[in-house]
Amino acid sequence: MKTDESKLNRAISAISTQLLSATSFWMLALLMSLIITFGLISPNNVFLSANNMFTIALGVSQLGLISVGTCYLLGAGQLDISIGSNITLSSILCGKTVVALAGSPAEVAAGIYPNLNWALSAGALAAVASGATFGWLNGVLVTRLRLNSFIVTLATTGIGLGAALVISGGSNVPYIPRVVQTGFSNYRVGGVVPLPVLITIIVATILWFILRRTRYGTWTLAIGSSREASARAGIDVNRHILSLYILMGVLCGASAILDIARFASTNIGGHRLDALQAISAAVIGGTSLFGGTASVFGALVGALIPAVLGTGLVIIRTDPFYQLIIVGVIIIVAVFMDQKNRERNI
Amino acid sequence: MTSAGVGELAVEVSGIKKRYGSIEALRGASLRLYRGQVTALIGDNGAGKSTLVKAISGEVRPDEGRIAFNGELVALAGTGDSRRLGVETIYQDLALAPDLTVAENMFLGREVRVAGLAGRLGVLDKRTMQETARQILAELGIKLKSFNAPVRSLSGGQRQAIAVARAMKWARHAVLMDEPTAALGTLQRELVYNSIRKAVERNLAVLLISHDIPQMLRFADKIVVLRHGENVAEMNPKQVDLRQVVDAMLGEANPK
Repeated sequence: MKTDESKLNRAISAISTQLLSATSFWMLALLMSLIITFGLISPNNVFLSANNMFTIALGVSQLGLISVGTCYLLGAGQLDISIGSNITLSSILCGKTVVALAGSPAEVAAGIYPNLNWALSAGALAAVASGATFGWLNGVLVTRLRLNSFIVTLATTGIGLGAALVISGGSNVPYIPRVVQTGFSNYRVGGVVPLPVLITIIVATILWFILRRTRYGTWTLAIGSSREASARAGIDVNRHILSLYILMGVLCGASAILDIARFASTNIGGHRLDALQAISAAVIGGTSLFGGTASVFGALVGALIPAVLGTGLVIIRTDPFYQLIIVGVIIIVAVFMDQKNRERNI
Repeated sequence: MTSAGVGELAVEVSGIKKRYGSIEALRGASLRLYRGQVTALIGDNGAGKSTLVKAISGEVRPDEGRIAFNGELVALAGTGDSRRLGVETIYQDLALAPDLTVAENMFLGREVRVAGLAGRLGVLDKRTMQETARQILAELGIKLKSFNAPVRSLSGGQRQAIAVARAMKWARHAVLMDEPTAALGTLQRELVYNSIRKAVERNLAVLLISHDIPQMLRFADKIVVLRHGENVAEMNPKQVDLRQVVDAMLGEANPK
């Protein structure tokens, strides 16, 4: 009995030591204090209403998906700044597929969609396939040509956006069925939780499990921690990195679907900052820029902090542009904490 | 430690040649490693020691020569082959992933998975890996403050001892070590040498590249000297002194 107690005490003390040194723990504390503060000072505590909370979460659901993907890539010591272009291209292809298959051009222009279900399924498939192919291309260039991931994805940022603009003629895809917004994006499971939020939570939970409990997750962090040690341990490093870029691409495809569903429209100009926001979210959440450490739920916290700040500042009638400054400071604090942790452990 | 000549032949290498462009790194080098014995491989910089170890570990493909593990000829296409065949290699630059835990490092690439479908999907049996790692470290007398901390938080000696422990866990015939203590202080070195002794007690053959000749004279059962990619001497450390080893190592270039 006594041994059990001392084991329990040791476990509690080990867990608390790990928690207190984890950036994600402090960022979660920051997020909670922001929510409570805005809740207390907002008129009638309106900030704390379930409706407001889920509206914020809905706005973050797309960023959440790509932040989690970014946390995997950064964990493996890789970077993808082409995320926004991937989402733009995937959403254009998705939109084009839906509109082309939903009915004849005249029917679609009149808002009549005889083949709606089939067209929506094909559109979703097109988005995911396009995203995965884009990711595969990044991965092939990084692993086969041994090019730096920043440079490769900088180049494919231009290539992807250019392709999206060529295909769309520079304008958003018209006549996308409104039902994707009313029946999907605005649908609330149990009348409470927006469907895109639930999807993001489910995907993030699966990816958390894979990162923490499976060989795939261990290999991801091992490669980011020491590529050479991983290769010497028999891991096919290139194949693993390629699979991570494909995973990132699939998440971009899924994010493109959520994007179209949100306003029943594509958003050609709206994704230029996606990659930077995803990297910020992952880093704020405790994922290391140096590779080897990653936190899936930290990335979600990191995605929520700017959104909570943005909405909170509006609700308390303060200039929302302060959000940019505060988030910048938070990023610096998060990276500084990560660096300190590493120095302490050397 | 067992005395020389007691164990069976674990690794036999003969006539290894390796050329890099115009440089002949190995010119027919040979080596015999016996179970329960430490063989020290000694030579000046550029003598071909590391290349020979890399040839045995499969990292370098020799142009000519024969390599046999446990009496069977092997053709090694990479380090994975030598490991599969029971020969582990430890490198000078601490080949561990610093952000992973001890258990994760010890089982990296050879993880234990849970039974059933979940295991086939890659779900890990972390408890078994942790318990096994804990057991091996206890046998080696390595005490850690926290078992779940990243390897980065351990001392250089502890890390290298863990690399030895990992090699011991998986090796069936031999452990090859390329200057495993070069980056360590005296106490840390002792920790690593203790771990190596345990490997020898497990009847593994150990090959040790080292520049620390006095230590090798005390620690090894046999000293093999390479010069310009060739074997120039094989000595019993109990019957030679430092001067004789250095003479063999440097040959005519050594000023008396």
